[in-house]
Amino acid sequence: MSHAALGHSTDIRGDGTSPGAAIEVVNLVKRFGHNRALNGVSFQVPRGTVFGVIGPNGAGKTTIMRALLDIIRPTSGQATVLGTPSRNAGPDLRRRIGYLPGELVLEGRTSGRRLLQHYADISGPVTAGHVNELAERLGLDLDRPVRKLSKGNKQKLGIVQAFMHQPELLVLDEPTSGLDPLMQQEFLRMVREARNRGQTVFLSSHVISEIQQAADEVAILRDGRIVTINSVEELRTTAIRHLRLVASGIRPTDLAAILGALQGVTTLDCTLTATGDAEAVATLSGAIAPFVQAIGALQVRDLVLEEPDLEESVLKLYSAPVAAAVVTK
Amino acid sequence: MTALQDRPQNVRRAPLPLFGKAFSDSWRGLLGWGVGLAAAAFLYLPIYPSMSGASGMQELLDNLPPELIKTLNYDQIGTGAGYTQATLFGLLGFLLLSIAATGWGAGALGGDEESGQLELTLAHGVTRVQVAMARFFAIAVKILALSALLFLVVLVLNDSAQLEIEVGDLLGTSLIFAGVSLLTASVALLGGALTGRRIGGIAGGTTVAVLGYVFNALGNQSASLEWLHTLSPYYWAFGDSPLSTGANVTTTIVFYAASLVLAAAAAIALRQRDIGV
Repeated sequence: MSHAALGHSTDIRGDGTSPGAAIEVVNLVKRFGHNRALNGVSFQVPRGTVFGVIGPNGAGKTTIMRALLDIIRPTSGQATVLGTPSRNAGPDLRRRIGYLPGELVLEGRTSGRRLLQHYADISGPVTAGHVNELAERLGLDLDRPVRKLSKGNKQKLGIVQAFMHQPELLVLDEPTSGLDPLMQQEFLRMVREARNRGQTVFLSSHVISEIQQAADEVAILRDGRIVTINSVEELRTTAIRHLRLVASGIRPTDLAAILGALQGVTTLDCTLTATGDAEAVATLSGAIAPFVQAIGALQVRDLVLEEPDLEESVLKLYSAPVAAAVVTK
Repeated sequence: MTALQDRPQNVRRAPLPLFGKAFSDSWRGLLGWGVGLAAAAFLYLPIYPSMSGASGMQELLDNLPPELIKTLNYDQIGTGAGYTQATLFGLLGFLLLSIAATGWGAGALGGDEESGQLELTLAHGVTRVQVAMARFFAIAVKILALSALLFLVVLVLNDSAQLEIEVGDLLGTSLIFAGVSLLTASVALLGGALTGRRIGGIAGGTTVAVLGYVFNALGNQSASLEWLHTLSPYYWAFGDSPLSTGANVTTTIVFYAASLVLAAAAAIALRQRDIGV
């Protein structure tokens, strides 16, 4: 499943017509002074797929993306984008990419529409009416001055800017930051539609939930290294969730016995609430179905099963240094 | 994949989009500087007849310490050309245009990178050299526009204020005035391109303008300090009183050529660097 294997060189033919990977990164290293932002990152993104990178702030997500766009130059290693080496790549390559920066800054008195027109002028062409269509989907007013837009609306403008010329490759750094949940869903629909049209999407996040809905594969990045590359399904089974359950008509010890017998339930703590119910707090890893079946017979009064927390679950799982085995050398 | 191939090929695009954007983003500022320059001219020039007549001017000069007179270039102030040079092109106009030039130069690359906006522009279908040069030419056009405005205002006031400036000399002075300002702007551009910070550009531009002025003033004081004139762009521009004797064509060309070279250096510096780190 993993496309991280270093050994086999791909079928990139360097003529821009390669049917192989949309992105091929080989042993990318980036140092800023003494600080190693990227520590030998290798991965491939097949064309027509959605590839997500997750990791905490400072893991190197943004650095990879900037290297793909030739905004920064790697210290060593190579990134090939749509069959062209990204380093010193000309404008023609970047016209085929839609990019949303992680720290999107949009200022000025100019309206959103005029700003988009400017980017269309230098990167386009953009189908007539497509900008309006995208703006309408996201509920974005294009006639307001850019500097008066809220953070969320600036983010929408940035998304429209990246999608509007229907590029072969979308590179989106934390695309949903600042968007409300409804808009996040709309955005994820746009990502899926893009993939269905044959576009490739490379996106990053520090929230696992938004990536798992959209991505085919997910790379986990930490301290400038890829810890693992998994399919979303594989990732989901490894994630740890916090759960809290309140059931009536059962003693805490009995509840503890039922839940404690399940595989993947840890740090279980069952107590008696003030109302005489039994409350269980625990973490759950792996499949949810056995847990749901187990509590089916209970009189459940309250159940909170949190989204898997990346910081706690995935990173904890892979915090051992040996985990690097999947990737690089 | 079919949808990707359906992309339209013939859609109307603005000509010179980078240049146009650099220009249109700042027309309000340009207007403001224009009003300021014109106001400076209307403030100083119409009072020349009353000052030059009779005893007013001489009395003023007698009361000033000679060092100050030399610093302010007031030694020629008895003629219309000398007065216009000392008060407008050499003082308030120079100050205003130097500030504008430094701000534009520092903001064009350094400021834009610092704010984070340059990253997005460079992620589009442009080269860094195109961006740097387009912004340089936009600054050049704005400086020339302000200088042209000053030329027109002085021309309009020439008769009524009894300045008796030759049109050719005024034109040459306006061009060399724009040239020295463009030099300031391009050093600011280079400073911003090298550092990725607005302050780097401001330091560069301010150095050219302020040190140029100070070295000129010090060089005016005594023969032993005259060598400082060779380090002063201000002196290169205004040292031989272009408003009364005509601007030196070679010097004027050197100003523009040097600015172009500095802009090219800024473009190359920008091309080498990691942006926004």
